[in-house]
Amino acid sequence: MTAAAPTMLPVVNEMGEADRRALRSARIRGAVIAALGLLCFGAASGTMDVNATFSFWLVTQGGEAFTVATSVGVLWILAGVASGVIGLTQLWKGPAFPWRRSLVILVPLYIAAIVAALLNGKVANMTNVFAGTLEYAVPVSLGAFAGILSERSGMLNIAIEGKFLIGACAAAISASIALTITGNAGLALAVGVCTAMLAGVMVGFLLAWLGIKHKVDQIIAGVVVNIGAIGITNFLFLRVLGKNTWLNTPPTIDRIKLPILSEIPVIGPVLFSGTPYLYFTLAFMLFLTYMLFRTRWGLRLRASGEKPSAAGTVGIDVIRIRYRSMIMAGAIAGLAGSYLSLASAGSFQMGMSAGKGFIALAAVIFGAWNPIGAFGAALVFGFSDAIQSLLSILGVDVPPQLLNSVPYIVTIIVVAGVVGRVRGPAAAGQPYDQG
Amino acid sequence: MKRLRRIIRPAIVPALAVLSAFLVGSVFMFITDIENLKSFPQDPTGTIVAGVFNIGEAYYALIIGAFGDPSKIFAAIGSNDPKVIAAAIRPITETLVAATPLIFTGLAVAIAFRSGVFNIGVEGQFIMGAMGATVAVLALRDLPSPVLLVAAIGLGTLTGAAWGFIPGFLKARTGAHEVITTIMLNYVAAQLVLFGLRSDFLRQPGNDAPISKVLSTIVRVPLIFDLPAIRLHYGFIIALIVAVLVSWFIFKTTKGFELRAAGFNLHAARYAGMSAGGSIILAMAISGGLAGLGGSFEVLGTAGQMTNDLSAGFGFNAIALALLAGNRPMGIVIAALLFGALRTGGGLMQVKTGIPLDLLVFIQALVIMFVAAPVLVRSIYRMNPRPLDEGSPV
Repeated sequence: MTAAAPTMLPVVNEMGEADRRALRSARIRGAVIAALGLLCFGAASGTMDVNATFSFWLVTQGGEAFTVATSVGVLWILAGVASGVIGLTQLWKGPAFPWRRSLVILVPLYIAAIVAALLNGKVANMTNVFAGTLEYAVPVSLGAFAGILSERSGMLNIAIEGKFLIGACAAAISASIALTITGNAGLALAVGVCTAMLAGVMVGFLLAWLGIKHKVDQIIAGVVVNIGAIGITNFLFLRVLGKNTWLNTPPTIDRIKLPILSEIPVIGPVLFSGTPYLYFTLAFMLFLTYMLFRTRWGLRLRASGEKPSAAGTVGIDVIRIRYRSMIMAGAIAGLAGSYLSLASAGSFQMGMSAGKGFIALAAVIFGAWNPIGAFGAALVFGFSDAIQSLLSILGVDVPPQLLNSVPYIVTIIVVAGVVGRVRGPAAAGQPYDQG
Repeated sequence: MKRLRRIIRPAIVPALAVLSAFLVGSVFMFITDIENLKSFPQDPTGTIVAGVFNIGEAYYALIIGAFGDPSKIFAAIGSNDPKVIAAAIRPITETLVAATPLIFTGLAVAIAFRSGVFNIGVEGQFIMGAMGATVAVLALRDLPSPVLLVAAIGLGTLTGAAWGFIPGFLKARTGAHEVITTIMLNYVAAQLVLFGLRSDFLRQPGNDAPISKVLSTIVRVPLIFDLPAIRLHYGFIIALIVAVLVSWFIFKTTKGFELRAAGFNLHAARYAGMSAGGSIILAMAISGGLAGLGGSFEVLGTAGQMTNDLSAGFGFNAIALALLAGNRPMGIVIAALLFGALRTGGGLMQVKTGIPLDLLVFIQALVIMFVAAPVLVRSIYRMNPRPLDEGSPV
């Protein structure tokens, strides 16, 4: 950088091109946010007397409800005030202002106001919305963890969608077979999950083998796996499962309510009475974060992804790490697939992943290749999906296709770096030549 | 002799790939033939023989469905009855009809590959092009037919080009990975089509299904043969012409050279003074335009109206095509004919033996895998589609 200037604010004629661009975009951002605030006040003036009621199940679904009632206008005012404050602060502080953190306040306020305005007086059960958010977020974040594992080690993993499908199909079929043979639901479920993970492992190994040994372009290999997965699962569904429905009736996984924690009002029914997958996801998120950033294993993995040549010089076996991470990623993705068929839908349906594998990739980028960030991103996507269900259930007159498009459009916005450009592992996708 | 070798050499690997893929597919057919396998414990050899026989029956249906029934062809020779002739040539014309959109979409993918961009969004660009053509026809229906046809196709192409422009622009300006943006835009396009088809302007009156008003009564791409139930239209001929044009553009023009240079090495191209961002955007726009062109012809020539399952997986087929053909336009035509044959024949196969079409999708994936593995070992890794063989690539 240039000679360190002791002042906080950059002196304009000493700034480089990048600094000038940063200052300009900061100013634009501040102005836009402040202007949005003014719009909010405008919206507030017309809606002061429209009700906005949000209800939460207190302890059990269908039991007592706890409601928060305000008016839509109030929500707009809140959003407007927040926008004004944040926008002006951004203008004043310049590029140094951590505006991304302010989104945590801004976005929920705006969403609350917009949703309330759309609902136009109807009561919205937020517990269901949050529970739906988590349900959507589980497979997406598991897929994102798989993506993080592989990409951090230097392998591009486009095939998460395919692994979802294969895992879902394998889980459904094997669990059904196990159920028919043994009659034990718990065992059947275990068999289903393990088969799904095994299938994911095999696919991950195939991808690693193609990409490392044969230096096949990893994107092409990923696309191939996705096509193959769609083809073979559709084929199996139509040819085998259509006629032999006993092969597609796995036992369903019940939700597990954690003893004391699920009694916590409002939060309990949402967070602590989910499927085992939810708990695993949360636990794995913490575990993966710890492993990636606090252990030697994680350091070696990240080195393989950032600068494999340097890692190789120090004696790290980059090839082996990449194989292993792809295999692990495959297992996790297969697990996520089993969630789709065993917990979410109860059986295997054609194309049931509906693009969640690609949304998982977006969550990886959105979350800056960090498990916790990816989980947060998955929550955002899940929330938009849940809101769409809520609005359509309550009969709000918004075309469903528009709402259906939201996760995809949000993904594009995220990937295009509107929320800021994040840098991925530098060597991702480049084959490594162990010299 | 050398000339012959030049043509055959690049075809060996793809041919072997197709063969190997079919072998694996046959195994799958065998092991999922559950009714047959049930008799395995009692009569193993009989089961295997029966299984092989079933597979043979399936492939026979595939070939007949794609190219024609010999008995019907015999009857047609020398006959003057249009119905008999139609029955004889129906399979092969259906194959050509199925191949037409594949040629367009395959070219779209190939030109993007050659420029170093992965256009996975061909499916979305295809249906957006079809939508554009549909809207044009319904909005401008009072124009004389030839003008309306050209205008509709033109608008469809532009719509597809715009849909391809978006991810290209995003990649050039923000570095957004085009694989994700194009795939997302596919889903958005599908939703847009659904939305449009439910609107009163487009929807067929009195029907809740997402189908548009019938377009073929207003205008349609002219048919080549005036025989009953023969659908082959001039879109096929146009597709062949476009393939030649694309080949000329890529290999014989400066702009095409710039695109290929960007595909080989973006940094070197930029160093040589070519605009890297411009190449990406141009490639994606052309690619989208080609896909949109295909969509326009599909809705105006083959389908006759816009439905929400118009494309039915063309996108991924196109990628398979382009890879199989080594991103060569002429190879794409051949590969498109092959895939068209598979689709048409597969339909008959499904009817006769109950084996779902999706097996062929799986076989296609295997084909790509077999092609991609040894070939790409030879080439420089990353975005290079194929090293220049000895002589001109055709």
